Amino acid sequence: MASKNEPRVWETFLRRPGDLKEGVAIPLVIRDLNPGRKKYALRHVLAIVSPKPQEIPQVDELRVRTVVGVELPGSWGIRILEELPVELPGRPYQDFFLALKAWVADHKLDREPQKKYE
Amino acid sequence: MFRDNRDFMAALRSSGDLLEIEKEVHWDLELGAVSRLACEKEGPAVWFKRIADYPEDKTAFANPMATWRRVAVAFGMKPDAPVKEIYAEYERREGRLIPPVTVDKAPCKEIVQRGGDIDLFAFPAPMLHDGDGGRYLGTWDLAVSRDPETNWVNWGMYRFMVYDSLHLTGFPRPTSHLGKVFQDHYVPKKKAMPVALVVGADPLSHFAAAATYHIGGEEGALAGGLMGAPLELVRCESSDLLVPAQCEIVVEGEVLPDCVGLEGPYGEYPGYRTGEMGNGILFRAAAVTHRKSPILTVDATGYRDDSSTITALTGAIAIKRRLDRHGVPVLDVNVPRDGAVHTAVIAVKYGGGQVARQILETLTSRRALLSKILLVEPDVDVFDLGQVLHAFSTKCHPVHGIHTVQYEGRANTLTPCYSQGERAAQKGATVLYDCTWPGEWSREWEVPVKATFETIFPASVRQKVLSQWRAYGFKE
Repeated sequence: MASKNEPRVWETFLRRPGDLKEGVAIPLVIRDLNPGRKKYALRHVLAIVSPKPQEIPQVDELRVRTVVGVELPGSWGIRILEELPVELPGRPYQDFFLALKAWVADHKLDREPQKKYE
Repeated sequence: MFRDNRDFMAALRSSGDLLEIEKEVHWDLELGAVSRLACEKEGPAVWFKRIADYPEDKTAFANPMATWRRVAVAFGMKPDAPVKEIYAEYERREGRLIPPVTVDKAPCKEIVQRGGDIDLFAFPAPMLHDGDGGRYLGTWDLAVSRDPETNWVNWGMYRFMVYDSLHLTGFPRPTSHLGKVFQDHYVPKKKAMPVALVVGADPLSHFAAAATYHIGGEEGALAGGLMGAPLELVRCESSDLLVPAQCEIVVEGEVLPDCVGLEGPYGEYPGYRTGEMGNGILFRAAAVTHRKSPILTVDATGYRDDSSTITALTGAIAIKRRLDRHGVPVLDVNVPRDGAVHTAVIAVKYGGGQVARQILETLTSRRALLSKILLVEPDVDVFDLGQVLHAFSTKCHPVHGIHTVQYEGRANTLTPCYSQGERAAQKGATVLYDCTWPGEWSREWEVPVKATFETIFPASVRQKVLSQWRAYGFKE
């Protein structure tokens, strides 16, 4: 298992190409890929991601899968800015990703200026 | 009949239908890959006795009824009973309901955890397929819920994925019984829906939960009828729901009426991972109870999984009953195993456009899980797929013999040929291939004569040939 200071590995799922926006705070569902009993536990987070991980300080690794579960080549960097609730408000059977964006908008987390990769 | 899952496993061991793997296997894909290949090879059920990251008293049992042999064993029949006989046996027992009884003490309460003690990662829930959305604790399961208006208790086999230590997400389809009751009676009132997720009950309880059974029907009484004795149920710790007393694991909790979670994607029974993702329901655990040394039951979903036998069989009988009730001249129905519960072969006394339309309407009016129907006449044995293909190839007119219906809001969202857009709108279609002769054709002048031994020779010639068969030099 990675130590506290070692980069960790996460994975996210996207509904469509282009859903992963670079350089701005975005809400994501990520799952833990680090070995152990709790591998694949999910979290909802606000994060900054980049296809150039070296440009983000304190970066973890982010892998990406598509809506049908296909792993895309390469990996991104991710810095988690804030934890979002696991019990995410939304109407059952409605789109989870829209609910995630709505929560961030309702809490004005998408309007705060983000200094690039700070 | 088997009182619990462990008795069933012992019977499978005796019949040669259980493989016990002592070598350590990893829950992360290896267990799923072994179980998947076992399905595809029609191999035995598998008991994984050492699982990486978990103590030796946490084991897993995969593919309980993924072959007809194991279904026969579960029914107390000879393991090599023909499929047709298993269908007939289920049809006979299905009509006999025996209500369950309630008990105070139960093996599934040997260990009880509540609140902060709950850890859903304490069980070796497998990552079944590479690229699935998560680890599935609920595959061969039984979700108990209640309609608050009528008190109807529903059991269903629905998938449930581990989200974190306290939460699961599930995807009982919106048109499923649980999905419908939840949306009709809990969501509008913003009330959480109590649900108990049961893992590792006796085989016929799971069979009943997975069965295509009418809305308002009590699967607990169906399970008793199939077993020939009342099932013992025990009250949950956190709600008044009742669960099979002899089961291995119960995760009690509530489905939240105002929350969502990521669920899937997941390699499902049609044999594909379709991209059904993100629209799940969120379950918060309130208590976990289990037997000592609990055995997690697993359905390695995909081609030739457990649904290819039990969902197919119960679906076929449900179709037969439904068509009969609607006045269709139905004789027999088979949902062939390799058709992934998407294709039905229906034999009727007579076919034609009117019967075809009536069948399509009847089978797609509430929810439409089938996408292909082959309609045949009584000369075709619906269980002989060679005969069915012959009828389809020769009797189905490429223009006049094809009938379709399209619908929205009730399609099977797991059907692989639908686009992502169709899936989101639950849009779909069902096609019926009419492999019967047109009713207006004269039997004497127009209907082609079938050129088989049984149909094109006089009885006297057939009898002579059969009696002399070996004398001609044939061995069989």
